[in-house]
Amino acid sequence: MLEVKGLDKHFGAIHVTRNVSMKLERGERRVILGPNGAGKTTFFNQIVGEVAPDKGQIWLDGEEVTQLAVPDRALKGLSRSYQKNTLFDILTVGENLGIAASIHTHAARSPLRDPLRDRAVREIVAEVAHQVHLEPYLDAPVTDVSYGVRRQLEVGVALATRPKVILMDEPTSGIGPEMAHSFHRMLNELPRDLTLLIIEHDMDLAFDVADSITVLNYGEVVFDGTPEAARGSDLLKEIYLGSWEDA
Amino acid sequence: MFRLTPVRSGALGLLAALGLYAAFSAEYFGLEILTEIAILSMLVIALDMVAGFGGMVSLCHGALLGIGAYAYAGLTTMTGADPFLALLGAVVLTGIAGFLVGAVCAGSQGIYFIMVTLAFGQMAYAFFFESAAFGGDDGIAGVPRLDLSGLGVDLGDSRSFVLFCMILLALVTLFAAHILRSGLGRTLVGLKTNEQRMRALGVRSWRAKAYTFGISGMIAGLAGVLAAQHTMYISPGLLNWTVSGEALVVVILGGLGTLVGPLVGATAFVLIKHEVSALTPYWHLVTGVILIAVVMSGANGIFGFFEAQLERLRNRSKPAVEGKLKQGSVHDA
Amino acid sequence: MDIGFWVFQTLNALQLSMLLFLLSVGLTVIFGLMHFVNLAHGALYAFGAYVAATVAGGLGYWPGFLLAPVLVAAIGLLLYAGLIRRMRKSGPMAQVLVTFGLIFALLDLTRIIWGDLAFGMELPAVLSGRVTIGSVEYPTYRLFIIALGAGVFGALALILGRTQIGAMIRAGVDNDAMASCLGINVERLFFVVFCIGCALAGLAGAIAAPILSVTPDMGLQILIPTLIVVVIGGLGSLKGAITGSLIYGFVQTFGAVLVPNLASVLIYALLAVVLVMRPAGLFPAKG
Repeated sequence: MLEVKGLDKHFGAIHVTRNVSMKLERGERRVILGPNGAGKTTFFNQIVGEVAPDKGQIWLDGEEVTQLAVPDRALKGLSRSYQKNTLFDILTVGENLGIAASIHTHAARSPLRDPLRDRAVREIVAEVAHQVHLEPYLDAPVTDVSYGVRRQLEVGVALATRPKVILMDEPTSGIGPEMAHSFHRMLNELPRDLTLLIIEHDMDLAFDVADSITVLNYGEVVFDGTPEAARGSDLLKEIYLGSWEDA
Repeated sequence: MFRLTPVRSGALGLLAALGLYAAFSAEYFGLEILTEIAILSMLVIALDMVAGFGGMVSLCHGALLGIGAYAYAGLTTMTGADPFLALLGAVVLTGIAGFLVGAVCAGSQGIYFIMVTLAFGQMAYAFFFESAAFGGDDGIAGVPRLDLSGLGVDLGDSRSFVLFCMILLALVTLFAAHILRSGLGRTLVGLKTNEQRMRALGVRSWRAKAYTFGISGMIAGLAGVLAAQHTMYISPGLLNWTVSGEALVVVILGGLGTLVGPLVGATAFVLIKHEVSALTPYWHLVTGVILIAVVMSGANGIFGFFEAQLERLRNRSKPAVEGKLKQGSVHDA
Repeated sequence: MDIGFWVFQTLNALQLSMLLFLLSVGLTVIFGLMHFVNLAHGALYAFGAYVAATVAGGLGYWPGFLLAPVLVAAIGLLLYAGLIRRMRKSGPMAQVLVTFGLIFALLDLTRIIWGDLAFGMELPAVLSGRVTIGSVEYPTYRLFIIALGAGVFGALALILGRTQIGAMIRAGVDNDAMASCLGINVERLFFVVFCIGCALAGLAGAIAAPILSVTPDMGLQILIPTLIVVVIGGLGSLKGAITGSLIYGFVQTFGAVLVPNLASVLIYALLAVVLVMRPAGLFPAKG
């Protein structure tokens, strides 16, 4: 579904991504682990097109998208959420979902119709609200709901474009471990054919959702395998010990 | 995104009533001022669409108005086109010009956007100023007004003409409000709030910006057609960047991103101009000081100020906060 | 069109370029360092021209030439303390509007003080003649403008490139938060740079006064060319200011004699092309 081949990126003398390759099957849930500064977010930015790689290719559903602009990749079914909430604060929770859904249905292009009254858009909003447990908050302004609800909305907005693949950048960042586990249970309830690539800071949390795990360190893939193999890996413990203990 | 709150509909109703009262009671000079207000209002509604809702601060809207005026004057006086067709042609042409400017400038941000639009505006100004075909510095005289005698209306009469302008202004205001609540309008506000996220969701940002700029251009072009019909004479001065600058001043004075504010601003601006210039030749000084005071005060113009005060009163009587109306202070732009 | 024509027009182009350079360098460095767009820069230039013409009327050319930059810098000081320091954190739109308001206010202030009629300014004897260059006779004063502009460019290049304060300014342009972490008093640096920028605008006014008529709207007329220079060159860099000035000076001068009908459209078209190809100008201070 999503394949990355030999992705390489320098910023000046700093090598942020070093020949990174990975392949996700349809419906696969892969977690990317790695200490701070391992190049995880820059890797995401290259996949969605916000940063151009120096070398390498990105394939989405059998089609190369390396040269496409950000919105064009999104329209082909690639969606993402951000580590810091990037919501539309002047709107309500429901309107945030509606904007994203209307981009998918192209109602957002109409200069005449209000997309939020569109039936297709409202159906998507209702479905996504159910999936990420936002139903009670739909009419509340974003600024009035709690941080945890906003994290749910951040993922909900990414879901509302009906993507094939979602890249989630630390979806549980800033919420406590208890809530993070239930957040992951919520992710596990999403349709099984949806492919997820999730950056997680905390190794423990990764095991909730991961079918497979990739570990990045200094921009390089140092581990790629099943959660069971990751659990037993000495190399991982070595790399991770510091930040694991902090988290 | 535009929300038609009760305060805003009330203000629109009040403005319409005041306008109608003035249109039926005023003498010749008053009608001239009222016409000026109506035409300026139309221009600043066009500007508020892009600047207030889209965050695209344009310094070429005076030029768009001028292109509309020149297209209308050129089509009627040179090709002898029917004034009604000329009006449509001018509006379409200005829309295309606006679309092109928007498409080219879509990638620029902040001060660069202001500069590129300034450059395009001045380019149009220089073109008409030096073009012998369009009368160069002298402009074009003898521009006809629309012939509505079939409806029993003589637009040569000042009162009829001002009512004609006001009806068009009302239609344009409703049209703009409708556009801003459409998919395009919501996309535009999304882009202003967070362009990166909108792109990641699949919005080709240049497209939304260019279309909005095109629609805004059509409105500015219509204002230009009316300006040409009003004075029945046009000159390159219409396209000068100071006209665009004044339009921006009016939007700020009234309240950016409120659609109602610019109407208030246009009324206040034209009245201040005429009242102050009757007292002193230095009305620019007064306007300049008022502008600096409004911007430095941090309030969103006259209308934005009232809206914020009313909101505060409402919240005091009813502690449950019902959304925040704070939208687009100039300091965020 | 003989060689004399080309020499003559080249000198004209250089003279226009240098005048624009004096104005744009202040504007561009102020922007680069403070991210502040001062549309009223042109009004300061007009003010300099009026001061120079007034003083020269009583005391002769040189006192006017020297006093204009000083007085304009003093006005810059007032503006900085009263308005600009408070507007620094605002967005570009608020800054554009406040300085647009300043243009209005200063325009009428000059009309109140000096009236609506154009002022002239006498040249000192030493600069009033003509110099023969090959087959061309060229006014000494215009050569003086070229030399002065080149001198200011050289001095600024030296100060920015070789001195402590120059290094501090470059650090500030590059990253003002970082610079203040390094112990540079960024606020004082802004103030000094702003005043120098204003003084250069005043100097430009003083040297322009004898060759252009001094009118209240001269600041408005020069503003657009100055902005074009700054935007073509790229905001914030000395190299950009000089390159932009030369491009504008040559395109405008040769455009006016070779393709008179297109001259002014030409420069705007050039600007549009530059901005579409390189949205941040040719040599922006930051990439």
